[in-house]
Amino acid sequence: MSAIVFEGVKRVFQRDGRDFPTLDGIDLTVAEREFVAIVGPSGCGKTTCLRMVAGLEFPTHGKVTVGGATVDAPGPDRAVVFQQFALFPWKTVAENIEFGLKSKGVANGTRSETIARFVELMGLQGYESAFPHQLSGGMQQRVAIARAYALDPAVLLMDEPFGALDAQTRTVMQEELVRIARTNPRTVLFITHAVEEAVYLADRVVVMTRRPGRIREIVDVASVRRSEHWDRHERIEEVMDQASFVHLRTHIWKLLREQQRPNEH
Amino acid sequence: MSTLAAQRPPSRAESWALGATGLAALFGLWTLLAISGVVPAQFLPTPWAVAQRFVELTHTPFTGYTIQQHLASSVQRYLLGFGLAAVIGVPLGLAMGWFRWLDDIVTPLFEAIRFVAPIAWVPFAALWFGTGIGGPTLIIFMGAFPPALVNAYRGARFVEPRLIEAAQTLGAGDWRIIAQVLLPASVPSIVAGLRISAGLGWQSLVGAELIVASSGIGYLIVKGQSNISTSTVMAGMVAIGIVGFAIDVALRRVEARIHARRGQ
Amino acid sequence: MSRRRSSRWGVGLASIAATLVAWYVLMATGVVSSARFASPREFWAALVQINVQGYADARLWQHVWHSSKLVAMGFAVAVAVGVPLGLAMGWSRRAEAFFNPPFLLIRPIPPLAWIPLAIVWLGLGDAAKVMVIFMAAFVPSVINSHAGVRAIEPYLVEASAMLGVRRWPFVREVLVPGALPYIFTGLRLSLQAAWTTLVAAELVGALHGLGQVLNAAAQDIYPAMILVGMVFVGIAGAAMTWLLGVAERRAMPWRAA
Repeated sequence: MSAIVFEGVKRVFQRDGRDFPTLDGIDLTVAEREFVAIVGPSGCGKTTCLRMVAGLEFPTHGKVTVGGATVDAPGPDRAVVFQQFALFPWKTVAENIEFGLKSKGVANGTRSETIARFVELMGLQGYESAFPHQLSGGMQQRVAIARAYALDPAVLLMDEPFGALDAQTRTVMQEELVRIARTNPRTVLFITHAVEEAVYLADRVVVMTRRPGRIREIVDVASVRRSEHWDRHERIEEVMDQASFVHLRTHIWKLLREQQRPNEH
Repeated sequence: MSTLAAQRPPSRAESWALGATGLAALFGLWTLLAISGVVPAQFLPTPWAVAQRFVELTHTPFTGYTIQQHLASSVQRYLLGFGLAAVIGVPLGLAMGWFRWLDDIVTPLFEAIRFVAPIAWVPFAALWFGTGIGGPTLIIFMGAFPPALVNAYRGARFVEPRLIEAAQTLGAGDWRIIAQVLLPASVPSIVAGLRISAGLGWQSLVGAELIVASSGIGYLIVKGQSNISTSTVMAGMVAIGIVGFAIDVALRRVEARIHARRGQ
Repeated sequence: MSRRRSSRWGVGLASIAATLVAWYVLMATGVVSSARFASPREFWAALVQINVQGYADARLWQHVWHSSKLVAMGFAVAVAVGVPLGLAMGWSRRAEAFFNPPFLLIRPIPPLAWIPLAIVWLGLGDAAKVMVIFMAAFVPSVINSHAGVRAIEPYLVEASAMLGVRRWPFVREVLVPGALPYIFTGLRLSLQAAWTTLVAAELVGALHGLGQVLNAAAQDIYPAMILVGMVFVGIAGAAMTWLLGVAERRAMPWRAA
């Protein structure tokens, strides 16, 4: 069971006796094996939502459950892919992927097999003994994704995972992620501020308001993808060229535009 | 299964309580050892006895001067040595940073001398200056000079090239650039270096006064040792610690002020 | 670029050569009195003497060996106590709250200021030296290990929690490697402080060691031997720093060059 449920979630920061609400009542259900993206203006609390599922932060009101159980701590069942990669610089690629498996108590032989499998899946062959600093940003994020998948998690949490990559690498990674997500489906919560990325990857896109964050609208992409047969196209640029894609993207842009203050551009 | 749980940071009250306990443990252990007679009283006076001796030294001269007078002697030498180190080290360091040829000439010599601990200059200091003010001043200088030089050098050398380019495109001549771009840009590094300099200078002073002085706080504690007056030695150590701490705090304030002015 | 490099080396060597020549000339012409400093020849003679016949009751290598042994002992104990303490204080706010106040009291006392107290307690022998070396080397180890823990990126700690890493594997495989760069800085400072403090302690009173050589030479008014002592204090300091640098590079193969 890996459905994520946000029930009346609020998050309030307190400083100097004053309240700063960051999340103002989030109700959201991510079904099992569903890929949901959250977009929204900076500071709207979308990353906070992800971190609450991860168990790295906690709501001040309401609750967050995964598979029915309230989240009270981080764990390998909810694997996180960080924007900064968060690879251990002193561990090789293989050791980084192995670390979580060791902690789970997986036997030596099985560990090696699993590492090999995900090294191959993410195209990291030949780099097993490399250190992170020797790899490009894209390669490092591949390792981070391999590490997350190797845990066989119920839930995959991705916090702007491609935000630190240049545009071309980003596109390649997006295509890769689609490929993996189709072959290894899990419940995924994906945070991004790039609307096209969200529409390309997700089944549903949650659009949030600016702080204090609320859900403005949830856009159903999966039905459009199916009816318009986006998967027929190999390349990402072909998908993004589809009129149906553009329509969805523009719709979400407009929703985000509304959020901007009058004197911002 | 015990995983790495998120730490609940201690509350203010808890921190205070823990700190008080830590201090109490230190002084408690000390007092216990002193009172119990495990260590003879002559070698380990109680904290209270040390405090009393400290106060006593403010009105009863020891080896000719009260503790304030000894401190004044020390501070005088210290300021002289530190002042020299700053006045020579900072301009020289800046110049070395700006003019590569000067760097090439001076750096090998500097590197050769740098590894000689300041205290190793004591025999020459004694030989050249006897127990006059020159001796400790030399040692303090040898201790305070390297950080002042090195940090001024780094501040001058590693100025953002963009700043220099901007000034050049605005038509500034070389001296203008030095005065209005390079110098201000080096200030944080200079100040950080002076803070380290001040600390090392104070340490070197103490070391020097253990050997080549006839007054001063270092002299006081070494004389305390030869008289086996442990309370004098400890009182002197407390004084040294307080002054050293005060110097560091004062310079950190200056550093913070400068950073605030620059909006950092 | 390599022409620039070789010209820099050239200027550097020329600078040193010029200084040596100036040294020779100043002594030979008597501008600097030979009562206050030593000529190159006198320096050489003293160097030979301490190596062959010995000076202050032992030969050079014996003095150096004796000093080095004491430094190694004091340094080892200081690091064995200081690094774990610093790591604990960096990681646990509670440990920090407890240990910080007493530590802040001890910290401003310069290492050299412990010498008289050590002599009162332990006499003029090796034990007092080791105590003083410990006091000198202890503080930088604690401070830098503490800083090293704080320097670990928070997302690495979060990743560890996410991966389900337990406490002791965390210390072994994340905390220590993460703090290692700063730990080594602390080791370097500790070693320098240890060495400096030992020389000072030996200057105040000792039976062997480079500091003792300096002391004896000062009392004998023997500038050439003072110079020999100083040169070897410098060499020993440089050698130890270099050794530690080698250890550092080998301990952290993952660092970008």
